[in-house]
Amino acid sequence: MMAIASEQQTVDLREPSGWRRTKNQIATVGMWIAFVVMLVPLGFVLFTVIAKGASAITWQFLTNSTIPVNVLPVTYGGVGPAVVGTLIITGFASLIAIPLGVLGGVYINEYGGNHLLARVINFFADVMTGVPSIIMGLFIFTIWVLHFGYSGLAGSFALACLMLPIVIRSTYEMLRLVPNSLREASYALGATKARVTVTVTLPAAIGGIVSGALLAVARAAGETAPLVFTILVTQTTNANLFSGANTALSTLIFQNATQPYTGAQARAWGSALTLIAIAFILMIVARLVTARFARYDH
Amino acid sequence: MSMTARADSAIPAESASPLTRRRPFGDRSFQILCLAAGLLVLIILALIAISMTQQSTTWFTTAGWSGVFSTDWDPAHNAFGAVPFIYGTLVTAAIAIVIAFPVSLGIALLLTEVVPRRFSRPIVYVIDLLAVVPSVVWGLWGILILAPWLQGIYQSIASGLTGVPVLSTFFGGQGVSGASFFTAGLILAVMITPIVTSLSREVIATVPAIDREGAYALGATRWEMIRGAVWPHSQAGVVGAVLLGLGRAMGETIAVALVIGSSPTITTHLFSTGYSMPSVIANEFGEATVGEFRAALIGMGVLLFVLTIIINLSARAIVDRSVRRSRGA
Amino acid sequence: MQLRGRKHVATVGGAVAVALLAACSSSSSSSSSSGATSAPAATSATGSAAAASGKLNGAGSTFQLTFQEAAISAFKSVNSGATVNYDGVGSGSGRADLYAGTVNYAGSDSTIPTTEESKLNGKKVLYFPILIGPITLSYNLQGVSNLKLSPSVIAQIFQAKITTWNDPAIAAINPGVKLPSTPITLAVRSDSSGTTQNFTLFLQDAVGSAWTLGSSSTIKWPSTARAAAGNGGVAQVVKSTPGAIGYVDYSTAQASGLTGASIENKAGKFVAPSTSAASTDAAGATVKPDLTFHAVWASSNPAAYPVTYQTWDIVYATQPNANDAALLKAYLGFLLGSQGQALLEPLHYAQLPNNIDQMAVAQLSQITS
Repeated sequence: MMAIASEQQTVDLREPSGWRRTKNQIATVGMWIAFVVMLVPLGFVLFTVIAKGASAITWQFLTNSTIPVNVLPVTYGGVGPAVVGTLIITGFASLIAIPLGVLGGVYINEYGGNHLLARVINFFADVMTGVPSIIMGLFIFTIWVLHFGYSGLAGSFALACLMLPIVIRSTYEMLRLVPNSLREASYALGATKARVTVTVTLPAAIGGIVSGALLAVARAAGETAPLVFTILVTQTTNANLFSGANTALSTLIFQNATQPYTGAQARAWGSALTLIAIAFILMIVARLVTARFARYDH
Repeated sequence: MSMTARADSAIPAESASPLTRRRPFGDRSFQILCLAAGLLVLIILALIAISMTQQSTTWFTTAGWSGVFSTDWDPAHNAFGAVPFIYGTLVTAAIAIVIAFPVSLGIALLLTEVVPRRFSRPIVYVIDLLAVVPSVVWGLWGILILAPWLQGIYQSIASGLTGVPVLSTFFGGQGVSGASFFTAGLILAVMITPIVTSLSREVIATVPAIDREGAYALGATRWEMIRGAVWPHSQAGVVGAVLLGLGRAMGETIAVALVIGSSPTITTHLFSTGYSMPSVIANEFGEATVGEFRAALIGMGVLLFVLTIIINLSARAIVDRSVRRSRGA
Repeated sequence: MQLRGRKHVATVGGAVAVALLAACSSSSSSSSSSGATSAPAATSATGSAAAASGKLNGAGSTFQLTFQEAAISAFKSVNSGATVNYDGVGSGSGRADLYAGTVNYAGSDSTIPTTEESKLNGKKVLYFPILIGPITLSYNLQGVSNLKLSPSVIAQIFQAKITTWNDPAIAAINPGVKLPSTPITLAVRSDSSGTTQNFTLFLQDAVGSAWTLGSSSTIKWPSTARAAAGNGGVAQVVKSTPGAIGYVDYSTAQASGLTGASIENKAGKFVAPSTSAASTDAAGATVKPDLTFHAVWASSNPAAYPVTYQTWDIVYATQPNANDAALLKAYLGFLLGSQGQALLEPLHYAQLPNNIDQMAVAQLSQITS
């Protein structure tokens, strides 16, 4: 070290030179600026949605079962059909995707080992999380809607396709963290593989799995493209998931965003606020679940 | 894709048990159930490819390769050229990456190198907040608030740059619009920042502490340490993260559909209206009741699917490799 | 535009229909001086509507969308057993739906083009005109409130030959008005539209060969134009884009708070869009026996608004069953009768000229099963 130092100019190891220090400071400031740059649009969007949406939200707005024609002001009718639609379509999609996703994650981590099949499934589940949501909508349109018509069910299928790889991946990640000693102890007691998985491994990872599932639900609730091709539109509440067109908060916002009437736009802002609130609540609950169940966090 | 410390592989010795061995019925059927659930991924992906390609063959057979890859899009006169949309998809994604890359990298470095662990949580929460805002809300805000505001700004820039050689080809032009390639690119940048940031963080976190500490021991400033120790290790991984962001940007539909201006135009002027593959599918699908029109839109869906699969495959492969290499180092 | 409801169930109660009328008339700035030249046709068509029941589906023109929505709920309040749905997907898609048999009637602002006639498979169709209205040239220019435009200037604007607002051609017909140097943004239709077809027909009739883009439901506009779906979509583009100009039907423009330019008519006068000026213009149209006509550029009356157009509900003459035929007759009769036509003025439409309305009512008997 000393020899090197004597060949070059002597370096004071306690204090970097002026220019080096400046560069360092610029870099640090740059990183903070990057953070602020990201904050600006976020703040802007949240502020606008709250400012414009809050005035529209009333109990009637959220529950009235008829979406009025676009020209009518926001005080008429409400977006009840869209709220119901979002809840039942996303709910059913979660009912399909979460159990299947958890089972898929269990397969990859518990049964798959180093089998090629498991690695292939793992890899493609990863790839599938990156498939655009519009593809899921088009897919369900071609294999379901063309034969059975538009319905909330078709929308649920499309959303389930979206959620499945997300839940598989997050389940897989959580199961990986469960120490092997737990499993081995159960085997030592004579339990079968299925029993070990269901009664020991899964509960150990439950916090992370639930939180991952909730985040997938939050993502699905906000999606529009998969629904555009599968549920069509309706102005009144359709609680029947299996027959007839339906509507959702996200598609309502999409349709109203290009309307010139203040009533239609106000309904869009109100729906946007509702949708963001739903997504935020799910996200917060997910965080709380993670914190509550954090046992194997390093 | 988490690089947290692995527990030992959760595979006891009997895990590779063939299904043929005598095992309790419940145990075997549970395994089959899990396998089926996992296989669903492959089945769905295969079905997507097959069914959508089938629905779009009319487009390829009627228009031929020259028709499919022509620049003329005129449904009323049976011209279904996809090039304007491919162009728009690539341009908006490129704008998004150029903006999002430095921002995401900056935040990732902020979290891994600058901010102490205890204080990183609020910043992570803010990134999560950004990620959870639905695409349609970005689009609503974009078209009703951002685009009108930006129009004036674009106008001033464009008129200010008249005559300037290189810049005016990109930022000049006559038909300046708030709803344009650039606005779509801006919103895309905001939307892909969370994913590029979190992936970059993961990749950077795998840089061995030894390299970091070694650099500090040699008297490096933080910035020099980042350049000398962190960057070489995480370079490839960050590239993978950026590729993933690119894939996401290309596939983003609703926000872009609302703010891109809906005009199939090929131009270097970034402030001009444009169109992209997913946007045209979303906007025009309701109109497309005629055979070839619909086949063309689904065909573009196939193109998009193939493109994003390829990009995601490469991205995952690169990130995987880089992470494995750093951990091995 | 994205998929819109194929089954747009407008089961808004009668109360809301009344509210709709109240809201529209209280928000309209210029209380529409009722179309003086055409008295509402007093027919007894509504008498036979009392017992109508069943389901009707219609789709098409966004020009008549607001009227359809109001009429549907008013019709339901007199015929509780009848449900009518109307989906505003644009005239072209509405006609396509009629050919495919997925709707009972198509709302269309233009007659069936010759290129589509083969899709009828030889079946006879009946045209029922239901209302008249102006197409406004709505614009977004701060500080300019009464812009005047002539057909040749409009033709140049929409062919992107005039690109800024302070162009000498525009300034020449607007003496004393301070026009900014803002570039002109064109707002046009992205979907197959009867409004587009009538607007371009007007330009063709008025300026002849100076208009090179032809007249059809879809036009290849200049690449800098911003396209949107439906009259509502174009209105939204104009409203949110400074320097924009677009063609929007009067009813939508009024509801959106947009200002339309005064257009020079055949007599050389600049007339502002209004329902009365529209009726004046429509009175000059030549109506064929099958009730098709073109109201654009029709009248030489100095008070006529030249860009006035019409819209029809197109049905097959032979219906698949007796109930459909009866319900169609009842509903169309309602639209053409005094109750239906009375809904028009508050919604900023003009009523049909008396003679056309009578011919249409007489044609109802040709719907058979």
